[in-house]
Amino acid sequence: MNKIQILVVEDDAPIRNLITTTLKINEYQSITAMSGAAALMEITSHNPDIVLLDLGLPDIDGIEIIKKIREWSNLPIIVISARSDDRDKVEALDAGADDYLTKPFSVEELLARIRVMQRRIALMQESTPGNSVFTNGALKIDYAAGTVYLQDIEVHLTPIEYKLLCLLAQNIGKVLTHTFIMQNVWGASWENDVASLRVFMATLRKKIEKSPDGPQYIQTHVGIGYRMLKIEG
Amino acid sequence: MDTNKNEIGEHIMVCLSPSPSNRNIIMIGAQMAKAFDGSFTALYVDTNTELSKEDNARLKEHIKLAESYGAVVETTYGDDVSVQIAEYARIAGVTKIVIGRSNVRKRHLWSKPTLVDRLLKLALDVNIHIIPDSGAKEKYANRIRRAISGGVSVKDVLVTGIVLVLATLVGFLFQEFGFINANIITIYLLGMLMVSILTKGWICNLLGAIASVLAFNYFFVGPKFTFMVYDKGYPVTFLIMFFTSLLTGTLMSKIKHQSKESAKSAFRNKVLFETNQLLQKAVTDEEILQGTAKQLQILLNRTIHVYISGENRMLPIAVGQNEYVAIDDNEAEIVQWVFTNNKRAGATTGVFSEAEGLYLAVRTGNAVHGVVGIDIGKNPPEMFEYSMVLSVLGECALAMENNRNSKEKEEIALLAKSEQLRADLLRSISHDLRTPLTSISGNANNLLYNYSRMDEELREQIFKDIYDDSMWLINVVENLLAVTRIDNGQIRLNISTELVDEIISEAISHAKRISNTHHFDVQTEDGIILVDVDGRLIVQVMINLLDNAIKYTPNDATICVKAGIADDMAQIQVIDDGPGIPKESKPYIFDMFYTVNSGVADSRRSLGLGLSLCKSIVQAHNGTIMLEDNEPHGCIFTIRLPIGKVKDYEQNTDFGC
Repeated sequence: MNKIQILVVEDDAPIRNLITTTLKINEYQSITAMSGAAALMEITSHNPDIVLLDLGLPDIDGIEIIKKIREWSNLPIIVISARSDDRDKVEALDAGADDYLTKPFSVEELLARIRVMQRRIALMQESTPGNSVFTNGALKIDYAAGTVYLQDIEVHLTPIEYKLLCLLAQNIGKVLTHTFIMQNVWGASWENDVASLRVFMATLRKKIEKSPDGPQYIQTHVGIGYRMLKIEG
Repeated sequence: MDTNKNEIGEHIMVCLSPSPSNRNIIMIGAQMAKAFDGSFTALYVDTNTELSKEDNARLKEHIKLAESYGAVVETTYGDDVSVQIAEYARIAGVTKIVIGRSNVRKRHLWSKPTLVDRLLKLALDVNIHIIPDSGAKEKYANRIRRAISGGVSVKDVLVTGIVLVLATLVGFLFQEFGFINANIITIYLLGMLMVSILTKGWICNLLGAIASVLAFNYFFVGPKFTFMVYDKGYPVTFLIMFFTSLLTGTLMSKIKHQSKESAKSAFRNKVLFETNQLLQKAVTDEEILQGTAKQLQILLNRTIHVYISGENRMLPIAVGQNEYVAIDDNEAEIVQWVFTNNKRAGATTGVFSEAEGLYLAVRTGNAVHGVVGIDIGKNPPEMFEYSMVLSVLGECALAMENNRNSKEKEEIALLAKSEQLRADLLRSISHDLRTPLTSISGNANNLLYNYSRMDEELREQIFKDIYDDSMWLINVVENLLAVTRIDNGQIRLNISTELVDEIISEAISHAKRISNTHHFDVQTEDGIILVDVDGRLIVQVMINLLDNAIKYTPNDATICVKAGIADDMAQIQVIDDGPGIPKESKPYIFDMFYTVNSGVADSRRSLGLGLSLCKSIVQAHNGTIMLEDNEPHGCIFTIRLPIGKVKDYEQNTDFGC
């Protein structure tokens, strides 16, 4: 599993070194690029498994790079942002990124994010078309029958909650922005009401995350969105 | 109106009148003012005589002409023109008066000394310049004609006749009772007094006087029923009777006029005084304009429209008790024109004169603050009303300008204060950052050059110190970024509806990075709690509180976070069992830059920024933050925030899918 190759796109040398050192210690392979143009070249020539993209690149706007990559590839992109407000992260996610890191980030955070992406890759490779059952730890979704089970006991969800859960499951490991979720669950006709989304999400979680010590399937990113995590084991 | 006193220079004054020759006088006055570089005033003395329509119109034209030459137009009221002129000249410091030659001529056979003579007597150190004007004779004839034609109405003549008849009848009665003729004369005198009370103008008085003498002669003086008299004394009696009745009549009219005038004057003063009071109390521009419009409405008894200038357009304001009556687009255009060109327009002016209303700009100097529209309709306002309107508008403009100035002053003061705050902040931060930076660079340097000479334990300690210092710096930077959003004393909030649970869990995940040895116990009651907040800022508040709790408690302590609803607000509490805050410090802990030297071994340097920032942020959300003691020791920080509103959402019915 650690033969995964990660492309680090970062123009600031100390940060770049920090990341590559961390990756090396944790037995990941890494290649680097210092500009957007170089990054695109590396992706096409070396085909990395994950891309770590800094949003403050000197030549091309990070959002543009994401859009370009998404034109031909679905490879996981984790963006790194130095800004504290959430707008650029939301934009990046909406443009196609999967996850984000905010500077300053700790090494553990970096590694955690990479692990999540790894599981996402694994799942994407596993899932064969026509696979109508989704499993994540004790959670099971039977798409065909439209039922949800937690430890083999059926969970009763409202239509909206079900749709939410399915959307998260289908995009497991990827951070979905509020707008993305609302558009896909309610459609363009619903007025943008993030508050309602929160309420639905909260009730959904109460139903599938029974105890506070139990596994957390849905991860909240305040001001950004939600993500479903693959549970180990 | 700007004061027109030019202490050092000349002050030229012209008198306005409806006479056509007045134009010339105004122009000459203006030239003189320019030549001497002095101030220019145009005075109109309102003697309350009725002016014909043409005269009224001409007078208004002359006023406008004078204004176009830069004159300040003043109006005074009184019977005696020369007294008024002299008084005004004395008070205003007029140095030169320009009048037309026609004013020099005697007006009536029985008038007092000429205007010039009296002026000279009354205003000793004023130069009087007399300008020849051609229209004088005509004017005199017109006046006579007007006096005769304008002053008499059929009703008045009838009334005079009836009174005379009544007096005569009573006279006959007296004769029956055997009273002497003197009593009958007094009856006629009484009759003339009544005539002067009941009729307008002096013509009826004159006619009545003549008629009463004739009647007395005819009916009561021998030989009766003739116009001849036997007694030599009677012609004298007749003459005296005539003059007496004429005089009483005239006096009576004067008294009437005076009382009408005092009433008007009292009313005018009352309105001006009220306006003054109103404008002083008014706070916003809108209030000022509304108050002005209300007063104008009382004054003129016409519909008033008022517009306040805003964003390069005029916005209408509703006026007083009347519902705002929308005017059509043409009139609205006129309003815009007045605003842009800073000149009056509408009915009775030269511009847009077919309009329904007269539109005046409320201005000080060149700045137009608003526009007032007066419904003219069929009857234009009198001079008296007109000049009052100008006074009121002048006050209004002044009030608005004062308002603006004080607002600007406030804003400047506020700006200065917040700049001061920022400067203080930056200074303090810069000093405080030096310490952790020194330790980081020093430690790294040590490791760089002396790594091999250190034992494992020492190395670990140094690494930890570097790590801790950098974590501290990270938190300070976050706080600083939050502080930069305090603009002009107000925090710019990006409000969205957030879940309290989510805020708490994000804050705790941050806190776990600061200390992975502390335990965090989260208790939420009362179900799903939403708050309308700036998520990022509130998370920062929570992080600051948790950071404090971590700092002041031992490494394996438990920090408790409770969320619930209290007093209709969302409540979050951060509870620790550390040493707590000493009583002396309690009043100050939320002050900026205040730090508590708690004497704990691991006492870290603290910028003292965190708690004051928390307070500012929470208060900007209309929330509260407070500190209580925990038993047996420790702190309970309680934050309360307004509960968020959710629009109707799908009912949470439980039907399986």
